[in-house]
Amino acid sequence: MSLDGFPPFISAQLHYLINHFPDKIKVEQVLSGGKTYTGGLDRFTLLIPYCLDYIKWDIIYNAEFPLAPPDIIFGTEDEDFHPLHMTGRVGEGDLKFRNILSDWNYKDPTRLLALIQELRDRYMAYQKKRVGEVDDDRLTFEISTICSREGIEMQISSGAEKPEEVKFAVPLMDMNINKMVHGCPWRHPQKIYLQVIYPVGKKYASTPSAPRLKLMSTTELRALFTIEDVKLPSWLDGMCMAEYLPHLEESLQKQVLEAVSLIDIRRHFIEALAPLLGRPLEADPVCTSLAIYLFILSISLFNIDC
Amino acid sequence: MGDLVLQKIAISGPTLASMIQRLSSSPADLDGLLFGHVTCVAPSALSDDSVQSTPDSQLVATISSFLSFPSLLSFYDSLGRVDSSRLTLTNLNQKPLIGWFSFRRKTPLRPSMRESSVTRSLPSNPQLYLPIQNASSESLFAPSIFLLFTTPLQDQFIQTCQYRAFQYQSSNLCFNPLPIDIVNIGPAFRGHYGAFSPTSALPFLNCELRSSSAINECRNEENLIGMKRIAKDQSELDMCAEGMQIGRLNQLIGPEAVNYTAGLEDLYKKMLCKIESLARLVEASSAKVVEQENHNRKLRYKVARSAGLE
Repeated sequence: MSLDGFPPFISAQLHYLINHFPDKIKVEQVLSGGKTYTGGLDRFTLLIPYCLDYIKWDIIYNAEFPLAPPDIIFGTEDEDFHPLHMTGRVGEGDLKFRNILSDWNYKDPTRLLALIQELRDRYMAYQKKRVGEVDDDRLTFEISTICSREGIEMQISSGAEKPEEVKFAVPLMDMNINKMVHGCPWRHPQKIYLQVIYPVGKKYASTPSAPRLKLMSTTELRALFTIEDVKLPSWLDGMCMAEYLPHLEESLQKQVLEAVSLIDIRRHFIEALAPLLGRPLEADPVCTSLAIYLFILSISLFNIDC
Repeated sequence: MGDLVLQKIAISGPTLASMIQRLSSSPADLDGLLFGHVTCVAPSALSDDSVQSTPDSQLVATISSFLSFPSLLSFYDSLGRVDSSRLTLTNLNQKPLIGWFSFRRKTPLRPSMRESSVTRSLPSNPQLYLPIQNASSESLFAPSIFLLFTTPLQDQFIQTCQYRAFQYQSSNLCFNPLPIDIVNIGPAFRGHYGAFSPTSALPFLNCELRSSSAINECRNEENLIGMKRIAKDQSELDMCAEGMQIGRLNQLIGPEAVNYTAGLEDLYKKMLCKIESLARLVEASSAKVVEQENHNRKLRYKVARSAGLE
């Protein structure tokens, strides 16, 4: 992606952020805050992956004042998110975050990445706190059972028309899939997530309804394993996540291992075809999911003597 | 002390226009302080429908002037903490601080991370709290108003300025949007000027002064004291009028009040002369300020460009 038009100190930091962020970050709506464009572009919107979706943050630099750190405007639903004044989070993490801003060095390209990562962590803590305050017994129970799992992200979404919902993004299977695929070119670690959406329940519901479930994976994993083909085990009444997840993980693990072993089988198959059909025109060397051959059929006429 | 919740903000048309003009002509983002007063307005007793309960008396904040800073991080730091050593009564020339404003082009119309922090820490100096006019209680108003100006995200052929006012409530840590009333001149707005108070009052002067020639008749010591007093009063009058002799104030009181109108008109004419000469001074100093700002901007460009060469 071209980042032309930014003053050098902004483009250095933005480049570094995009290249080194653990997930894919998108940049859109790049604008200039100056009266004329002579200063250059200095404000943009970052789409930061969170909870299997994106959160939009507007980053405001000032081309006229390069020494100042950027200011950030959070999303419309997060009016209460004040990372500089979070209560109950005093300690090393707090000091580190404040130091990033107070010792801002505009020449250091790593600063923006550090700032965004710290803010994202605080956002996660903020969402966790909000979810914890929800007045729903079932949700409170669910949170208490799965909070020990690492890497869970949660988000409350509420709007004027739609009812309040709590969304969980649960990473499944602690496997390093990248290592299992020989020679994999993927830059980011591939993971499979289960998205669980609970409506924030009213007290008078007798049987709690099943949450909405969806399997999602990082995009590059599609070459190995199509998530859409996986049939989710059904959620029985009265089940909770702590019961459901182990079953799902077990069956997924089997499927992934099978898919990985199929790579080798397919590779042998293609190599075996070589003497018959020659080298393939196009093949996927990593996951061997695709091989295109070009060959000409010859048509012969037979005389059949009866 | 509980939070004093404002009902709305009033700003006069010329003040808002001059603010927007200042913002539009600034080459980059801008912020500054808001000055004014807070009044307690009794609600109108006339009502056709039966009201369930009489509303509490309303607090209205009026913005009368502003001060803009040409650079960011002027009275606060990068964490949004207000530097209270810079916001003292002496630095502000005793002007009543009620809040601050921020202008940023092509951004959404909501408070940002740093702006929230600054608004939150603005009321930290109790010495800056204002007494409320027409109030029954003795409570003081802490500066908690935030006025945000932005421009639309898409380029427009028409210059558009969007603004929204918030009051920060420390009790529930939230920004409360407030309606803004623009007070203009005209018959429809006559009622709004009920809460009007001038920001530049005439100094209290002794009008019973006799003309300087009469003082020659007194004894010597009295002469010296009297002359000192005359000189002091004259210098006070010179602050708001130009070329008006202090002795002429006699015409405004006493038996000479028959010439009241002429005397008053003369005073006003001399006040206008003063304003004119002040305007000329301001023009000259503005030119110097613009020159300095241009010079500063060139230096900042150099700094910004040099980052890429490292």
